[in-house]
Amino acid sequence: MKLPHNDQSSEHKPDLETHIPDIIEHLQRLFTDAPDLVIRKLSIMQTGEAAVLAYLDGLTDKNSINKDVLYPLQFIGGGGEPGSELYVTVGHIVPYTTWSHIIEALLNGDSVLFVEGRSECYALDTKGWPQRAIEDPQLEPSLKGAHQGFLETGSQNIALIRRYIPNRELKIKQLAVGKRGPASVSILYLEDVTNKEFLKRLEDRIKGINVDVIINTGELVEFIEDNPYSLFPQLISTERPDAAASQILQGRCAVVVDRSPSVLVGPVNFMAFFQSIDDYSTRWSIATFLRMLRIAAFFIAAFLPALYIAVVSYHFEIIPMKLLITLGESRGRVPLPPFVEAVLMEITLEILREAGVRLPAPVGQTVGIVGGIVIGQAVVQAGLISNVMVVVVAFTGISSFILPNYDMVAAVRLIRFILMILASLFGFVGIIIGLIVMIEQIIALRSLGMPYGIPLAPMRFADLKDTFIRAPLWLMNKRPISTSPLQNRRQGKSRFQEEEEEKKE
Amino acid sequence: MKKVYSGHEITSLQYIFLLSGIQVGVAVLSLPRKLAETAGTDGWISIIIGWLISTAASLIIVQIMKNSPNGSLPDWAAGVMGMWAGKAVAFLLALYFCFLLFDGLTKTVMITKIWLLPNTPSYIIMILLLVPTYMIARHGPRIVGRYCELIVYICLWIPIIYLIPLKHSHFLHLLPPLKEGWQPVLTGVKEIIYPSLGMVATFVLYPFLKHKEKAGAAVVASNTLTMASYLFITLICFVYYSPDEITEYNNPVISILKSIEFRFIERIEVPFIAFYLTVFSLVWIPAMYLTTFCSSWLFGRTDSRGHLRVLCIATAIATYFYTPTYRQNWVIEQILTAFGLGIEYIFPVLLLAFIAVHNRMRRS
Repeated sequence: MKLPHNDQSSEHKPDLETHIPDIIEHLQRLFTDAPDLVIRKLSIMQTGEAAVLAYLDGLTDKNSINKDVLYPLQFIGGGGEPGSELYVTVGHIVPYTTWSHIIEALLNGDSVLFVEGRSECYALDTKGWPQRAIEDPQLEPSLKGAHQGFLETGSQNIALIRRYIPNRELKIKQLAVGKRGPASVSILYLEDVTNKEFLKRLEDRIKGINVDVIINTGELVEFIEDNPYSLFPQLISTERPDAAASQILQGRCAVVVDRSPSVLVGPVNFMAFFQSIDDYSTRWSIATFLRMLRIAAFFIAAFLPALYIAVVSYHFEIIPMKLLITLGESRGRVPLPPFVEAVLMEITLEILREAGVRLPAPVGQTVGIVGGIVIGQAVVQAGLISNVMVVVVAFTGISSFILPNYDMVAAVRLIRFILMILASLFGFVGIIIGLIVMIEQIIALRSLGMPYGIPLAPMRFADLKDTFIRAPLWLMNKRPISTSPLQNRRQGKSRFQEEEEEKKE
Repeated sequence: MKKVYSGHEITSLQYIFLLSGIQVGVAVLSLPRKLAETAGTDGWISIIIGWLISTAASLIIVQIMKNSPNGSLPDWAAGVMGMWAGKAVAFLLALYFCFLLFDGLTKTVMITKIWLLPNTPSYIIMILLLVPTYMIARHGPRIVGRYCELIVYICLWIPIIYLIPLKHSHFLHLLPPLKEGWQPVLTGVKEIIYPSLGMVATFVLYPFLKHKEKAGAAVVASNTLTMASYLFITLICFVYYSPDEITEYNNPVISILKSIEFRFIERIEVPFIAFYLTVFSLVWIPAMYLTTFCSSWLFGRTDSRGHLRVLCIATAIATYFYTPTYRQNWVIEQILTAFGLGIEYIFPVLLLAFIAVHNRMRRS
């Protein structure tokens, strides 16, 4: 793969040797202790020249090298003069004259053909590293949407997105990040829709990264996020090509990082974390209901334990008498103060969740049994934790599971603990202060310079069609104005006119 | 100074809600009682008269600011009458906003202490309130505007709850109108002054406005919004409580919630007061910003964050040593009302007259 960014090498003058023994020696000097480097000497039948093919075993496709490079070169005659064009049945061939380019090509899975007496060599695209098959996305499964998730290969991921937007306005800006192992980072956007301001900001920030290697999209996010100290995620990473494509169509940019199965989308707003691609493939009424449910779940997951603590330790007068008696019965046996009780249970929940993630699937079931039965039942019977607390914890747990974005769930988990501390110190007042600070975060944060709270603060009434509710698709003829797209209109009148009922006698 | 204003534009809606927020805030809680004390059940007429007056005052303020589209009032004063006049105006405004801020904060602390946290020391509550105040005010008018807008939307459901007590209401209390003539109604108007304070924020906010040509309509809208909420809440209190009973409640707006009962929650006013903290914050958060804007102007600084920090710390320390009692709070309110009457009603009229004379003299 050719990477445009390679500052040191672009200034280099051609330094490739012309004699095969020199080249081999140079190669061996460069790749000491690299037993996976294969150097194959051969003579080309077409021109009669001596040549050497070098590649890294494992990064290349053996089949392709045998059939498309070695076979035509060695067994198909052509009668060409030495120095004339070579016939190889490989698609992408790049001539190089500098060693730095050659090294890069080798390390990226190309095989390089050196020919005796020529001042250039040829990088042949024979990439074929170990790769898994396309699978259902793990973190964002969908019921009715596509069942293809992104892979670890950038070019494949771009292809997956292109399948949804076969349009030549879909442009790709390719950058390289990392000095030691440059990863190609591609920004995908629609030339005639996406606002150039966001694109430029994204590009500048990515260009400013100066690190060894980017292993994952998550690392990239930390370098380009607007406010890394905030608890809220300011960019969405998705592993669904259809979600990425739909975001690009709304005027956003997608960032594909090679070697990482998740794709970044930006700029995004707070409410985007409550939208799922399934919303658009189900009927609008149920999609609207689910959105409301998610928003409610967000608040339950963040506030419920805090409310429990506040009510039990400060404001028990608001509980009606009958309920207070039941609550008192179950609370009376518990030796712990409400805050400790709640924190213990919430931490238990977090441990269970983390254990469930780390354990292999067959063992994972035991976690459910141990957690559900042993902790849930026994702890109440032993009088360590009150019944109500278990209900509260279960509610918050379930509520946080229905949020579609993992990063937002993670944020909610932390916010919950902060609110619990505030509630244990100041009751309702603490919770309200926490709420105000949360609102401050949402209205003051930015995502690639776009206000994070849009379309709520600043209010954009037109965008509310796709925020709390999901209006029928044929009513949303404009792209969201929050991304300030260059081309506002997304679709024309698409719904057929209802036919009048024929009169029947 | 022009740089300060660009990039911080606020929309007309944000401006409306900012002004209304400063006006409504804490003052609404005791308004029905005060009106009942002076004007009886005809107090609602006073609100309408007060609305006319404060709308007129707001329009005068906007008229003044039309002379200075690119700068706040201190900027304009400095340009027309010299640096020291600017500093005097900035000082006056800073002092006034500081008063407004302090009044809002101490009242909130007092209400919080009475209803929610009786055992927590006042200064702790004050520090608690100052944290979000600082966090929001440091971002400047745009974020403050967004905050006000969002809070107003979040609070839109509150009026619906206040309709519940109406099933026990007696509309006969309102009849006959003007039972004691116009005299009590007109004296009641002075009770409207305190809850209408805050229009003067236009002196600072005007240059931030995105659509300055709509400023006049916006102040009318914000005053109308304030008036509508006062009228709504006062009428409900008047028809729910008997004319004699209402004066016994300190904050009838909160006490009326006691009549609402659900099976699953008792004493609904407790969570309500907690939630009202967001409404009260509409007074002190903008006031905090306005104070530091004026004080920074006074010292010729464009970044108000330094002053913001100092003001927050000073307020917290001050509360540690001195917390106004209920009685002192009343005195502060009286001083603020007098101060506000001067700066929001009389000062603009004088200023407008001065501008008229000034312009005529310059032309001739």
